[in-house]
Amino acid sequence: MNAANIAEIIAFALSAFIAVAGALGMATTMSMFRSGIFLMASFMGVAGLFVLLSADLLGLLQIMMYIGGMLVMILFMVLFMQDPGGAMMADMPDMMTPVGKIFSLGLKQNDPTGTGPEEEGEGRDGDDDNMGDMDMSDMAMVTPAYRWAVWAALLTAGGLVALLLLRPAWPLASGALDPRSAERIGSLLMDKYMVGFEGAGFLILIGIVGAVFMARTGRHGAKADRDSRSAIEDTPPEIEADPLTPLAGDIGQTGPGGAA
Amino acid sequence: MGVAEEIGFVLLALLGGALLTAGLERLLGTAERGPARPLAVARATALPNADRWLLPAGPISGLAGVLFGTVVIPFGPTLIGRDLGIGVFYFIVVIDFVVLGVALNGWGASTSDAVESCYRIVAQLVSYIVPLGLAYVGAIMMARSLVTTTIVDAQSGLWFIVLQPLGFALYLVTGLMQSYRAPFLEAFSDRIGGGVLGVVGGGPALVWRVTLSGLLFLVAAMGAILFLGGWSGPFLPPPVWMALKTYGLMALMLSLGHLVRPLSTAEMLALSWKILTPAGLVNVLIVGILILLHIGPA
Repeated sequence: MNAANIAEIIAFALSAFIAVAGALGMATTMSMFRSGIFLMASFMGVAGLFVLLSADLLGLLQIMMYIGGMLVMILFMVLFMQDPGGAMMADMPDMMTPVGKIFSLGLKQNDPTGTGPEEEGEGRDGDDDNMGDMDMSDMAMVTPAYRWAVWAALLTAGGLVALLLLRPAWPLASGALDPRSAERIGSLLMDKYMVGFEGAGFLILIGIVGAVFMARTGRHGAKADRDSRSAIEDTPPEIEADPLTPLAGDIGQTGPGGAA
Repeated sequence: MGVAEEIGFVLLALLGGALLTAGLERLLGTAERGPARPLAVARATALPNADRWLLPAGPISGLAGVLFGTVVIPFGPTLIGRDLGIGVFYFIVVIDFVVLGVALNGWGASTSDAVESCYRIVAQLVSYIVPLGLAYVGAIMMARSLVTTTIVDAQSGLWFIVLQPLGFALYLVTGLMQSYRAPFLEAFSDRIGGGVLGVVGGGPALVWRVTLSGLLFLVAAMGAILFLGGWSGPFLPPPVWMALKTYGLMALMLSLGHLVRPLSTAEMLALSWKILTPAGLVNVLIVGILILLHIGPA
């Protein structure tokens, strides 16, 4: 075994580790931002595997799509989630899985006041008083389907490993690799698979135009109509026969986006 | 070159290039310097809310981006880290790691200024990537190759700046956006205390200095390769021509950028989608017509 072979094995091990550990971290960490970054790392591990298989163009395409795409997606998550930095969840280790504890290390704050990291206002009203009112099912990483998802993932992984063991004679590609693979992929996309390729692009364009069309105010969609579709009511109906004494000054801070 | 020599050459090229870039920027500096602002290396900012995994990952990702990018920059016919078959595309992709680094460091630091820096740099990525790609496409179409040395060889008769003036103008603007220099320095502006640069100190500060100076160096070098004929030129040795063209282009970009008032992120996005992207498509169309008329390299 020469040096090139050893380097290849090390590169494979590293890429595979990044791909698997990134996926595990994505599903278990308590920080939504981290979760997106872990997913990106996982895809980069897969891109490393592509490069090892001499599909360097595909590997780079993968990296290009996911750096930009994931960063934008993360920003949208930060806009809509209550605890994107995971600081609040990190204070509740009881709710985490053992793996989740590992991937949430370094999030727990040694801050006696209990305020989370500054997520542009949202994290700041995460005081302990509000915790009980918050709907936990809305939170990032707590979902009743979690247990099922873990079992499904384990079964799939077991099936794949079994496939690997039961079918030991994998066909190996023979012959020299094509040095002009980039050119051939381009020709195929613009020639044989042009309808599918352009069709997918056109669908995405329609989606973008539709989103812009629906988001714009004024000419389309009356204002009153929009208000009636609003999810948050300005004045919630009073709860009848409420045995609890109302908290002073607590109104208006419990809903999603209560930083107003 | 062996692998060790290649790595040494890439390191040397990046560090030397970044050093000269920092010097040139000091000469041409204006009041607001964005990514070239003076850094407090001795400072140790307390970051009580920091995400202690993402914070150190930021500078590493940024430095990796410029290091990987330097690999495909040719300083002579054989003076190149590694002549990859998809060189230019590879370059566009790996430079994105700088954006990822700033986003990671900004979010990880968890101060409002640094997080703002993270948001703005992602918006800037969205605004420059499409027109920048279209500016590259013109040169790639004429050279019929993604290999950087082949693109330089294709310009032995006539530089692409003569054939594609629109593409070059597009590259000037999007190159400034990609390197975060004035007027597109919103992500590192003084209003937010330099953003990420306002909270780093010590080693990370030095790494960001090398990364952000090296980024401008790489953008200018790639502009010289795509439009100014790279290392080619009479009398002087190839690396000298390459350096002259790189720093000449850099000086041009910086001084043109200083003539315009700084743009906000929203204005930058509007500029990109309303003007630069259509201009890039027109450029691709013009280049296509030129190729059909057999104008350009044979």
